[in-house]
Amino acid sequence: MKKIFSITLLMIIIGAGTTKLAGQCNPDNFANACIPKLSSGFNFLKSYKVDGEGGSKEKVEYSYVFTKGTQYMINLCATGTATDGIIVTLFDSSRNKVASSKINGQFISAIAYPCNATGIYYIQYTFDGSAGKCGGSALGFKR
Amino acid sequence: MKVLLASLFALFLTACGSGKKPDEQAFLNSLDSAKSGPTIDEEVINSILQQIPSPLEISVLLKESGTKYSPNILNSPDNLPKYNSNYKKALNLGVYGTDLGYTNIYEQNQDGIKYLESIKSLADGLNIGQFFDIETIGKLAANSKNLDSLLLITTQNFNSINHYLQTQSRANLSVLLLIGGWVEAMQITCQVSAKDPKNKELQEKIGEQKIILEQIVLLLGFYKEDANMASLLKDMEELKGAFDAIIITYTYRESTMEVVEGVAIIKDNSTTTINITEKDIENIKSLTNSIRNKIIS
Repeated sequence: MKKIFSITLLMIIIGAGTTKLAGQCNPDNFANACIPKLSSGFNFLKSYKVDGEGGSKEKVEYSYVFTKGTQYMINLCATGTATDGIIVTLFDSSRNKVASSKINGQFISAIAYPCNATGIYYIQYTFDGSAGKCGGSALGFKR
Repeated sequence: MKVLLASLFALFLTACGSGKKPDEQAFLNSLDSAKSGPTIDEEVINSILQQIPSPLEISVLLKESGTKYSPNILNSPDNLPKYNSNYKKALNLGVYGTDLGYTNIYEQNQDGIKYLESIKSLADGLNIGQFFDIETIGKLAANSKNLDSLLLITTQNFNSINHYLQTQSRANLSVLLLIGGWVEAMQITCQVSAKDPKNKELQEKIGEQKIILEQIVLLLGFYKEDANMASLLKDMEELKGAFDAIIITYTYRESTMEVVEGVAIIKDNSTTTINITEKDIENIKSLTNSIRNKIIS
Protein backbone atom coordinates (compact mmCIF):
# COMPACT_ATOMS: atom_id res chain seq x y z
CA MET A 1 0.00 0.00 0.00
CA LYS A 2 2.89 2.29 1.01
CA LYS A 3 4.60 1.48 -2.28
CA ILE A 4 1.53 2.40 -4.35
CA PHE A 5 1.11 5.63 -2.39
CA SER A 6 4.78 6.63 -2.89
CA ILE A 7 4.73 5.91 -6.62
CA THR A 8 1.44 7.77 -7.06
CA LEU A 9 2.88 10.78 -5.18
CA LEU A 10 5.97 10.76 -7.36
CA MET A 11 3.89 10.55 -10.53
CA ILE A 12 1.80 13.53 -9.37
CA ILE A 13 4.94 15.64 -8.71
CA ILE A 14 6.48 14.79 -12.10
CA GLY A 15 3.11 15.16 -13.83
CA ALA A 16 2.57 18.62 -12.34
CA GLY A 17 5.98 19.72 -13.58
CA THR A 18 5.34 18.39 -17.07
CA THR A 19 1.91 20.05 -17.27
CA LYS A 20 3.46 23.41 -16.35
CA LEU A 21 6.14 23.01 -19.03
CA ALA A 22 3.56 22.12 -21.68
CA GLY A 23 1.59 25.29 -20.91
CA GLN A 24 4.61 27.56 -21.03
CA CYS A 25 5.27 29.97 -23.84
CA ASN A 26 8.41 29.21 -25.83
CA PRO A 27 8.94 32.43 -27.81
CA ASP A 28 12.48 31.46 -28.84
CA ASN A 29 11.06 28.84 -31.20
CA PHE A 30 8.74 31.38 -32.81
CA ALA A 31 11.50 33.98 -33.05
CA ASN A 32 13.84 31.48 -34.73
CA ALA A 33 11.08 30.34 -37.08
CA CYS A 34 10.58 33.94 -38.16
CA ILE A 35 14.17 34.50 -39.36
CA PRO A 36 13.93 32.50 -42.62
CA LYS A 37 10.57 34.16 -43.31
CA LEU A 38 12.20 37.55 -43.88
CA SER A 39 11.72 38.48 -47.52
CA SER A 40 14.51 37.86 -49.99
CA GLY A 41 17.25 40.48 -49.93
CA PHE A 42 16.82 41.35 -46.26
CA ASN A 43 19.75 40.72 -43.93
CA PHE A 44 18.85 39.41 -40.50
CA LEU A 45 19.52 41.79 -37.59
CA LYS A 46 17.63 40.69 -34.48
CA SER A 47 15.04 38.23 -33.30
CA TYR A 48 12.54 39.21 -30.62
CA LYS A 49 10.63 37.11 -28.14
CA VAL A 50 6.98 38.03 -27.69
CA ASP A 51 5.77 36.52 -24.43
CA GLY A 52 2.59 37.95 -22.92
CA GLU A 53 3.16 35.70 -19.89
CA GLY A 54 -0.30 34.20 -20.12
CA GLY A 55 -1.98 37.60 -20.19
CA SER A 56 -0.12 39.28 -17.32
CA LYS A 57 1.75 41.50 -19.78
CA GLU A 58 -0.24 43.77 -22.07
CA LYS A 59 2.71 44.64 -24.28
CA VAL A 60 6.27 43.66 -25.04
CA GLU A 61 8.58 46.38 -26.24
CA TYR A 62 12.06 46.64 -27.79
CA SER A 63 13.92 49.54 -29.36
CA TYR A 64 16.39 49.97 -32.19
CA VAL A 65 18.10 52.82 -34.02
CA PHE A 66 16.74 52.89 -37.57
CA THR A 67 18.69 54.87 -40.13
CA LYS A 68 17.59 56.96 -43.07
CA GLY A 69 18.02 55.29 -46.43
CA THR A 70 17.68 51.77 -45.06
CA GLN A 71 14.62 49.57 -45.49
CA TYR A 72 13.64 47.42 -42.52
CA MET A 73 11.30 44.45 -42.29
CA ILE A 74 9.65 43.20 -39.11
CA ASN A 75 7.67 39.96 -39.27
CA LEU A 76 5.55 38.00 -36.83
CA CYS A 77 5.22 34.29 -36.06
CA ALA A 78 2.78 32.59 -33.69
CA THR A 79 0.75 29.42 -33.21
CA GLY A 80 -2.24 28.67 -35.43
CA THR A 81 -3.44 31.51 -37.57
CA ALA A 82 -0.77 33.77 -39.02
CA THR A 83 -0.27 36.18 -36.11
CA ASP A 84 -2.73 34.87 -33.46
CA GLY A 85 -3.85 38.44 -32.77
CA ILE A 86 -0.32 39.73 -32.15
CA ILE A 87 0.20 43.24 -33.53
CA VAL A 88 3.51 45.00 -34.06
CA THR A 89 3.43 48.78 -33.90
CA LEU A 90 6.35 51.08 -34.58
CA PHE A 91 6.75 54.38 -32.72
CA ASP A 92 9.37 57.08 -33.19
CA SER A 93 11.41 58.50 -30.30
CA SER A 94 8.60 60.98 -29.49
CA ARG A 95 6.11 58.11 -29.40
CA ASN A 96 4.40 59.11 -32.63
CA LYS A 97 2.91 56.06 -34.35
CA VAL A 98 4.82 55.27 -37.53
CA ALA A 99 3.46 51.88 -38.57
CA SER A 100 1.21 49.04 -37.48
CA SER A 101 0.60 45.50 -38.65
CA LYS A 102 -3.16 45.85 -38.06
CA ILE A 103 -4.64 47.63 -41.03
CA ASN A 104 -8.41 48.07 -41.46
CA GLY A 105 -9.04 45.27 -38.97
CA GLN A 106 -6.71 42.92 -40.84
CA PHE A 107 -3.73 41.32 -39.07
CA ILE A 108 -0.67 41.44 -41.33
CA SER A 109 2.31 39.18 -40.61
CA ALA A 110 5.04 41.53 -41.85
CA ILE A 111 5.73 45.22 -42.25
CA ALA A 112 8.32 46.79 -44.54
CA TYR A 113 9.55 50.17 -43.43
CA PRO A 114 11.78 52.25 -45.71
CA CYS A 115 13.18 54.63 -43.09
CA ASN A 116 13.40 58.28 -43.98
CA ALA A 117 14.32 59.65 -40.56
CA THR A 118 17.19 58.38 -38.41
CA GLY A 119 16.43 57.90 -34.72
CA ILE A 120 15.49 55.56 -31.92
CA TYR A 121 12.31 53.64 -32.69
CA TYR A 122 10.18 51.53 -30.36
CA ILE A 123 8.98 48.18 -31.62
CA GLN A 124 5.91 47.33 -29.57
CA TYR A 125 4.01 44.05 -29.59
CA THR A 126 0.42 43.93 -28.29
CA PHE A 127 -2.28 41.24 -28.17
CA ASP A 128 -5.69 41.72 -29.75
CA GLY A 129 -7.85 38.65 -29.15
CA SER A 130 -4.73 36.52 -29.01
CA ALA A 131 -5.30 32.98 -27.74
CA GLY A 132 -1.72 32.08 -26.87
CA LYS A 133 -0.26 35.54 -26.26
CA CYS A 134 2.98 33.96 -27.36
CA GLY A 135 5.02 34.49 -30.48
CA GLY A 136 8.24 35.68 -32.02
CA SER A 137 9.48 38.22 -34.50
CA ALA A 138 12.51 38.98 -36.66
CA LEU A 139 14.02 42.24 -37.84
CA GLY A 140 15.96 42.52 -41.08
CA PHE A 141 17.36 45.26 -43.27
CA LYS A 142 18.35 46.01 -46.83
CA ARG A 143 19.63 49.09 -48.65
CA MET B 1 11.92 1.30 -1.49
CA LYS B 2 13.38 4.19 0.51
CA VAL B 3 16.57 4.03 -1.54
CA LEU B 4 14.57 4.04 -4.78
CA LEU B 5 12.52 7.04 -3.65
CA ALA B 6 15.63 8.92 -2.50
CA SER B 7 17.34 8.28 -5.85
CA LEU B 8 14.30 9.43 -7.80
CA PHE B 9 14.01 12.52 -5.62
CA ALA B 10 17.71 13.33 -6.16
CA LEU B 11 17.23 12.87 -9.91
CA PHE B 12 14.19 15.16 -9.78
CA LEU B 13 16.16 17.86 -7.94
CA THR B 14 19.04 17.60 -10.42
CA ALA B 15 16.61 17.96 -13.33
CA CYS B 16 15.21 21.13 -11.78
CA GLY B 17 18.66 22.55 -11.01
CA SER B 18 20.40 25.55 -12.56
CA GLY B 19 21.55 23.55 -15.57
CA LYS B 20 24.92 25.38 -15.67
CA LYS B 21 27.44 23.69 -17.91
CA PRO B 22 31.07 23.38 -16.79
CA ASP B 23 32.22 25.94 -19.37
CA GLU B 24 29.63 28.43 -18.11
CA GLN B 25 31.04 28.05 -14.61
CA ALA B 26 34.55 28.51 -15.97
CA PHE B 27 33.38 31.69 -17.64
CA LEU B 28 31.91 33.04 -14.44
CA ASN B 29 35.13 32.28 -12.59
CA SER B 30 37.41 33.69 -15.24
CA LEU B 31 36.47 37.34 -15.43
CA ASP B 32 39.08 39.71 -14.07
CA SER B 33 38.33 43.39 -14.46
CA ALA B 34 34.71 42.55 -15.05
CA LYS B 35 34.16 41.34 -11.48
CA SER B 36 32.47 44.43 -10.15
CA GLY B 37 29.14 45.05 -11.85
CA PRO B 38 27.15 48.25 -11.70
CA THR B 39 24.62 48.88 -8.98
CA ILE B 40 21.90 49.78 -11.45
CA ASP B 41 19.00 48.04 -13.09
CA GLU B 42 20.51 45.70 -15.66
CA GLU B 43 17.27 45.78 -17.62
CA VAL B 44 18.03 49.42 -18.40
CA ILE B 45 21.48 48.53 -19.69
CA ASN B 46 20.15 45.64 -21.77
CA SER B 47 17.43 47.80 -23.29
CA ILE B 48 20.02 50.40 -24.37
CA LEU B 49 22.38 47.72 -25.64
CA GLN B 50 19.76 46.24 -27.97
CA GLN B 51 19.24 49.63 -29.63
CA ILE B 52 22.75 49.85 -31.05
CA PRO B 53 22.55 49.08 -34.76
CA SER B 54 24.60 46.37 -36.39
CA PRO B 55 27.91 47.54 -37.97
CA LEU B 56 26.89 45.38 -40.91
CA GLU B 57 24.54 48.17 -42.01
CA ILE B 58 27.54 50.46 -42.62
CA SER B 59 29.40 47.79 -44.61
CA VAL B 60 26.35 47.23 -46.82
CA LEU B 61 26.03 50.99 -47.38
CA LEU B 62 29.70 51.22 -48.42
CA LYS B 63 29.42 48.34 -50.85
CA GLU B 64 26.11 49.53 -52.31
CA SER B 65 27.56 53.01 -52.84
CA GLY B 66 30.33 51.51 -55.00
CA THR B 67 33.19 51.93 -52.53
CA LYS B 68 36.08 49.57 -53.22
CA TYR B 69 37.22 46.96 -50.71
CA SER B 70 40.09 48.35 -48.59
CA PRO B 71 41.60 45.77 -46.23
CA ASN B 72 44.28 48.25 -45.13
CA ILE B 73 41.73 50.27 -43.15
CA LEU B 74 40.84 47.26 -40.98
CA ASN B 75 42.58 46.09 -37.82
CA SER B 76 45.03 43.35 -38.78
CA PRO B 77 44.03 39.93 -37.43
CA ASP B 78 47.75 39.52 -36.65
CA ASN B 79 47.37 42.00 -33.78
CA LEU B 80 45.68 39.26 -31.75
CA PRO B 81 48.62 38.56 -29.36
CA LYS B 82 48.40 42.16 -28.11
CA TYR B 83 45.05 41.55 -26.45
CA ASN B 84 45.63 39.95 -23.06
CA SER B 85 43.13 41.47 -20.64
CA ASN B 86 39.40 40.76 -20.76
CA TYR B 87 38.89 44.48 -21.40
CA LYS B 88 41.01 44.41 -24.56
CA LYS B 89 39.69 41.02 -25.64
CA ALA B 90 36.07 42.17 -25.46
CA LEU B 91 36.73 45.45 -27.27
CA ASN B 92 38.70 43.79 -30.05
CA LEU B 93 36.19 40.99 -30.38
CA GLY B 94 33.81 43.77 -31.38
CA VAL B 95 36.41 45.34 -33.68
CA TYR B 96 37.11 42.04 -35.44
CA GLY B 97 33.38 41.34 -35.64
CA THR B 98 32.93 44.51 -37.68
CA ASP B 99 35.96 43.65 -39.82
CA LEU B 100 34.58 40.16 -40.44
CA GLY B 101 31.23 41.65 -41.48
CA TYR B 102 33.06 43.99 -43.86
CA THR B 103 35.06 41.17 -45.49
CA ASN B 104 31.89 39.05 -45.73
CA ILE B 105 29.89 41.79 -47.44
CA TYR B 106 32.71 42.24 -49.97
CA GLU B 107 32.94 38.44 -50.34
CA GLN B 108 36.63 38.43 -49.42
CA ASN B 109 36.54 34.99 -47.90
CA GLN B 110 40.26 34.42 -47.47
CA ASP B 111 40.56 37.57 -45.38
CA GLY B 112 37.36 36.63 -43.56
CA ILE B 113 38.81 33.28 -42.44
CA LYS B 114 41.79 35.08 -40.83
CA TYR B 115 39.40 37.28 -38.88
CA LEU B 116 37.38 34.25 -37.90
CA GLU B 117 40.44 32.62 -36.37
CA SER B 118 41.24 35.73 -34.33
CA ILE B 119 37.60 36.05 -33.27
CA LYS B 120 37.49 32.44 -32.16
CA SER B 121 40.66 32.90 -30.15
CA LEU B 122 39.35 36.04 -28.40
CA ALA B 123 35.98 34.41 -27.74
CA ASP B 124 37.72 31.35 -26.27
CA GLY B 125 39.80 33.67 -24.09
CA LEU B 126 36.57 35.11 -22.71
CA ASN B 127 35.06 31.61 -22.36
CA ILE B 128 32.32 32.38 -24.83
CA GLY B 129 33.88 30.47 -27.72
CA GLN B 130 31.11 27.88 -27.54
CA PHE B 131 28.79 30.40 -29.20
CA PHE B 132 31.02 30.79 -32.23
CA ASP B 133 30.50 27.94 -34.65
CA ILE B 134 33.78 28.38 -36.52
CA GLU B 135 33.52 25.04 -38.31
CA THR B 136 30.17 25.87 -39.94
CA ILE B 137 31.21 29.45 -40.67
CA GLY B 138 34.50 28.25 -42.19
CA LYS B 139 32.61 25.89 -44.53
CA LEU B 140 30.17 28.62 -45.55
CA ALA B 141 33.03 31.06 -46.13
CA ALA B 142 34.63 28.65 -48.59
CA ASN B 143 31.89 29.36 -51.13
CA SER B 144 30.78 32.86 -52.10
CA LYS B 145 27.30 31.49 -52.94
CA ASN B 146 26.74 31.05 -49.20
CA LEU B 147 26.92 34.77 -48.42
CA ASP B 148 23.38 35.02 -46.99
CA SER B 149 23.90 32.00 -44.72
CA LEU B 150 27.31 33.29 -43.68
CA LEU B 151 25.91 36.68 -42.70
CA LEU B 152 23.00 35.04 -40.91
CA ILE B 153 25.06 32.67 -38.82
CA THR B 154 27.69 35.25 -37.84
CA THR B 155 24.96 37.71 -36.79
CA GLN B 156 23.21 34.95 -34.81
CA ASN B 157 26.46 33.98 -33.10
CA PHE B 158 27.18 37.56 -32.00
CA ASN B 159 23.56 37.96 -30.85
CA SER B 160 23.89 34.76 -28.80
CA ILE B 161 27.11 36.01 -27.21
CA ASN B 162 25.50 39.31 -26.25
CA HIS B 163 22.39 37.59 -24.93
CA TYR B 164 24.46 35.17 -22.88
CA LEU B 165 26.63 37.91 -21.38
CA GLN B 166 23.55 39.90 -20.44
CA THR B 167 21.79 36.95 -18.82
CA GLN B 168 24.95 36.19 -16.84
CA SER B 169 24.98 39.74 -15.40
CA ARG B 170 28.15 40.45 -17.36
CA ALA B 171 26.71 43.07 -19.64
CA ASN B 172 29.88 45.14 -19.17
CA LEU B 173 31.64 42.80 -21.61
CA SER B 174 28.69 43.10 -23.97
CA VAL B 175 29.00 46.89 -23.75
CA LEU B 176 32.70 46.66 -24.68
CA LEU B 177 31.97 44.29 -27.54
CA LEU B 178 29.40 46.66 -29.01
CA ILE B 179 31.59 49.74 -28.49
CA GLY B 180 34.54 48.03 -30.20
CA GLY B 181 32.29 47.17 -33.14
CA TRP B 182 30.88 50.68 -33.32
CA VAL B 183 34.29 52.42 -33.16
CA GLU B 184 35.62 50.18 -35.94
CA ALA B 185 32.57 50.93 -38.11
CA MET B 186 33.12 54.66 -37.44
CA GLN B 187 36.79 54.32 -38.35
CA ILE B 188 35.94 52.56 -41.63
CA THR B 189 33.30 55.18 -42.49
CA CYS B 190 35.61 58.11 -41.67
CA GLN B 191 38.48 56.63 -43.69
CA VAL B 192 36.26 56.00 -46.71
CA SER B 193 34.74 59.48 -46.38
CA ALA B 194 38.23 61.03 -46.33
CA LYS B 195 38.93 59.38 -49.69
CA ASP B 196 35.58 60.53 -51.07
CA PRO B 197 35.03 63.98 -49.48
CA LYS B 198 32.13 64.91 -51.78
CA ASN B 199 30.03 61.92 -50.71
CA LYS B 200 27.17 63.61 -48.80
CA GLU B 201 25.55 60.32 -47.82
CA LEU B 202 28.69 59.21 -46.00
CA GLN B 203 28.93 62.55 -44.22
CA GLU B 204 25.33 62.22 -43.09
CA LYS B 205 26.04 58.66 -41.97
CA ILE B 206 28.85 60.02 -39.78
CA GLY B 207 26.62 62.83 -38.45
CA GLU B 208 23.75 60.55 -37.48
CA GLN B 209 26.11 58.51 -35.28
CA LYS B 210 25.50 61.31 -32.76
CA ILE B 211 22.35 59.45 -31.71
CA ILE B 212 24.22 56.21 -31.10
CA LEU B 213 27.15 57.89 -29.35
CA GLU B 214 24.74 59.44 -26.85
CA GLN B 215 23.57 55.92 -25.95
CA ILE B 216 27.16 54.67 -25.71
CA VAL B 217 28.12 57.48 -23.30
CA LEU B 218 25.02 56.66 -21.27
CA LEU B 219 26.03 52.99 -21.11
CA LEU B 220 29.62 53.70 -20.09
CA GLY B 221 28.39 56.03 -17.36
CA PHE B 222 27.05 52.98 -15.52
CA TYR B 223 30.56 51.53 -15.24
CA LYS B 224 32.69 54.55 -14.38
CA GLU B 225 33.88 52.88 -11.15
CA ASP B 226 36.06 50.68 -13.34
CA ALA B 227 39.31 52.43 -14.35
CA ASN B 228 39.34 51.08 -17.92
CA MET B 229 35.69 51.97 -18.49
CA ALA B 230 36.20 55.43 -16.97
CA SER B 231 39.09 56.09 -19.33
CA LEU B 232 37.04 54.93 -22.32
CA LEU B 233 34.14 57.10 -21.14
CA LYS B 234 36.43 60.14 -21.05
CA ASP B 235 37.48 59.49 -24.65
CA MET B 236 33.89 59.00 -25.73
CA GLU B 237 32.77 62.20 -24.02
CA GLU B 238 35.46 64.07 -25.93
CA LEU B 239 34.18 62.55 -29.15
CA LYS B 240 30.64 63.46 -28.14
CA GLY B 241 31.86 67.06 -27.77
CA ALA B 242 32.87 67.01 -31.44
CA PHE B 243 29.36 65.82 -32.33
CA ASP B 244 27.70 68.59 -30.31
CA ALA B 245 28.06 71.01 -33.21
CA ILE B 246 26.03 68.72 -35.50
CA ILE B 247 22.36 69.56 -35.68
CA ILE B 248 19.86 66.81 -36.46
CA THR B 249 16.39 68.14 -37.25
CA TYR B 250 13.52 65.68 -37.15
CA THR B 251 10.14 66.46 -38.70
CA TYR B 252 7.28 64.07 -38.04
CA ARG B 253 4.58 63.57 -40.64
CA GLU B 254 2.05 60.78 -40.42
CA SER B 255 3.00 57.81 -42.56
CA THR B 256 0.77 55.97 -44.99
CA MET B 257 0.45 52.24 -45.51
CA GLU B 258 -0.68 49.75 -48.11
CA VAL B 259 -0.74 45.96 -48.15
CA VAL B 260 1.16 44.35 -51.01
CA GLU B 261 1.32 40.53 -51.22
CA GLY B 262 0.67 40.13 -47.49
CA VAL B 263 3.23 42.71 -46.40
CA ALA B 264 2.30 46.13 -45.00
CA ILE B 265 4.43 48.59 -46.93
CA ILE B 266 4.96 51.84 -45.04
CA LYS B 267 5.53 55.16 -46.74
CA ASP B 268 7.54 57.17 -44.24
CA ASN B 269 6.71 60.85 -44.61
CA SER B 270 8.89 61.97 -41.69
CA THR B 271 12.37 63.36 -42.36
CA THR B 272 15.66 64.11 -40.67
CA THR B 273 18.13 66.66 -41.91
CA ILE B 274 21.69 66.55 -40.67
CA ASN B 275 23.79 69.72 -40.65
CA ILE B 276 27.43 68.72 -40.59
CA THR B 277 30.45 70.72 -41.80
CA GLU B 278 33.80 69.59 -43.20
CA LYS B 279 35.40 70.84 -39.99
CA ASP B 280 33.06 68.62 -37.93
CA ILE B 281 34.01 65.63 -40.07
CA GLU B 282 37.72 66.39 -39.65
CA ASN B 283 37.41 66.65 -35.84
CA ILE B 284 35.37 63.45 -35.61
CA LYS B 285 37.75 61.59 -37.90
CA SER B 286 40.78 62.63 -35.86
CA LEU B 287 39.24 61.73 -32.49
CA THR B 288 37.84 58.42 -33.79
CA ASN B 289 41.27 57.51 -35.11
CA SER B 290 42.85 58.27 -31.75
CA ILE B 291 40.30 56.19 -29.77
CA ARG B 292 40.52 53.33 -32.23
CA ASN B 293 44.33 53.31 -32.00
CA LYS B 294 44.09 53.02 -28.21
CA ILE B 295 41.69 50.10 -28.59
CA ILE B 296 43.69 48.11 -31.10
CA SER B 297 47.21 48.81 -29.77
